[in-house]
Amino acid sequence: MWSIDFEDVGMTFGARTIFSGITHRIEGGRITAVIGQNGSGKSTCLRLAGHLLRPTQGTVIVQRDGETLRQGALRQEIGMVTPELRFYPRLTARENMTFLLGLRGKQLDEQAYQQALRQVGLETEAVAHTMTGEFSTGMRQRLKLAVLFLVDAHIWLLDEPGANLDAAGRSMVLQAAREAAQAGRLVLLATNDPGEEEVADDIIHL
Amino acid sequence: MDSSVWRARLLHGLTAVLTLGVLFAVFFVVPPAQGLGYYVRIAFFHIPVAWVSVLAFLLSAWWAAKVLRHHDAHADALSAKSAQLGFIFTVFATLSGAFFSKLTWGSYWNWDPRQTTIFVLMLIYGAYLTLRAAMPDPARRARVAAVYSLFSCLTVPFLVFIIPRFYFSLHPQPVLNSSGSIDMDPVMLATLLAALLDMTLIFWGLLYHGVAGHPPQGKAGDTV
Amino acid sequence: MTSSTFEGARLVLRKELRCSLREPAAWGAMFMFALTTLACVSLSLSGMTLEPKLLAALLWVILFFASMAGADRGFGDEDLARTLPALQLYGAAQAVLFGKMLYTGVLLLGLAAFTVPLYLIFMDVTLTSPGIFLLTLLAGLWGVAVAGTLLGALATGARVRSGLCTVLMLPIILPVFLPAIALTAAAFGGGAVAVSYLGGMVLYDLVLSVGASILFDYLWYED
Repeated sequence: MWSIDFEDVGMTFGARTIFSGITHRIEGGRITAVIGQNGSGKSTCLRLAGHLLRPTQGTVIVQRDGETLRQGALRQEIGMVTPELRFYPRLTARENMTFLLGLRGKQLDEQAYQQALRQVGLETEAVAHTMTGEFSTGMRQRLKLAVLFLVDAHIWLLDEPGANLDAAGRSMVLQAAREAAQAGRLVLLATNDPGEEEVADDIIHL
Repeated sequence: MDSSVWRARLLHGLTAVLTLGVLFAVFFVVPPAQGLGYYVRIAFFHIPVAWVSVLAFLLSAWWAAKVLRHHDAHADALSAKSAQLGFIFTVFATLSGAFFSKLTWGSYWNWDPRQTTIFVLMLIYGAYLTLRAAMPDPARRARVAAVYSLFSCLTVPFLVFIIPRFYFSLHPQPVLNSSGSIDMDPVMLATLLAALLDMTLIFWGLLYHGVAGHPPQGKAGDTV
Repeated sequence: MTSSTFEGARLVLRKELRCSLREPAAWGAMFMFALTTLACVSLSLSGMTLEPKLLAALLWVILFFASMAGADRGFGDEDLARTLPALQLYGAAQAVLFGKMLYTGVLLLGLAAFTVPLYLIFMDVTLTSPGIFLLTLLAGLWGVAVAGTLLGALATGARVRSGLCTVLMLPIILPVFLPAIALTAAAFGGGAVAVSYLGGMVLYDLVLSVGASILFDYLWYED
């Protein structure tokens, strides 16, 4: 059982206070949506949840079965899709995947790999031979999702995961998030899209 | 009025009285030193300033460790201020040393081990302050500055060992020489000790005055 | 070092080499920078006979500045390409640090293999103790690689990058720099060799490596 507890969390960048006083318990096995206008701190909220950023006020506690995780042990459990993730432009998509999964100690399993590519709608040929620097934004988004599916993390932090995707792509993402939550993963979804809000079991308003 | 304000006033008052006392002693009491004459007066400024330069470096590193362990913003302010003051004190130490050197040995600079050490210290301070100035994000600035402060600390034992082997010394024997006896006129020694204390208090006063604008905002229990 | 750290470091090293081989312009710029530094010194001193001590000092000044074109590349390139968030998300601190250090070490060895022979030829140096010289060179580059990698990581996110690493580097590298010059002077025929300096350099390299390893966790993990 996974949980992330926000206790009176506030974030200030210089003189600008993004938000303050957030107290919320996010639980595994459900989809929690973070909603708010542009600049309300949705991405910041996700990074705080994964300890990729430290709050300027309050604490964020991540637990697995009551045991608190931090640093390397926590990082190992995080899968993330966000606009600020960039792949190595001089590596092919497949090399990027092999490298990033390898860092997590995972071999690229051929069968799972083929299935993930089918799921996100990327062609095997393009993935094997094209440098990611030559990918379109939509293809990069699909590649990020493929890495997320393959890395088998327990905490999913999805920042606008449907961005740059067509309608079919967006529904594929939501379907995957739903299945992940059913499998007990903790899914945190930052979104502006009312359609994406609807799949959420729980909502944090910023 | 709370007690910290009174403590600060007491410190300032004490420092002012001590400073006047030391100045009086240096100009009217201390006898001219053998071979150095009245130039020895510079030493009562030079030695304390050099001492504070080193003290500020060690304190800055100490607070840097606190920044990394407790994410303590107040410690970061102290560490930064300490380095900033340390830089100014190293400049004074270098300048006063250079004048003293010119007056007594005939040249401003001769890569004496202690000149070299203070010069390296100035380089470290300069690098530290440059790094801080180049970092826009305050949280990251605190983190990287602390890491650099501690990383540069690793050089100290090696430099203390290496520099005297590479650079020939003109400096007088240390006050406490190898036989363990104190080889100095008692009035001079007392004045020097008072000057050391005085300069340390001046540093301390400037340090806390400098961070007064940054109230402690680290986690509860992380008091300095 | 645990086996997963070792495995991760190997992956990082392989990734770096692969990426950099596909960016030949970067290598060209680095080697030309080294050549320029070397040319500056040797052109301005051509025809003069120099003492071994001076030859040694000049060599290390050249090596220092030439290596600054490559020593901070490990993290500097990722910062420029904005790929650090991905590496930070997937890579464990120690694996990334040691992978980058190895890569920097390879770069610096390449630079030295290019610069040093040219210097020996241009300046007409007689090498009396090649063994000592080689060991000094290796111990020196080790220190520069370790310090350069950590300082490169420190400089990521800086508003002003140009020259920052060089400024940060000099005080850190002095305990390597000074004995290296003395040892090199001896290896160029400038008197007796105090081999204990070499031991001191290696000791300092070890201290830097352990220090970098401990401190890097604080840079890599926010919590």
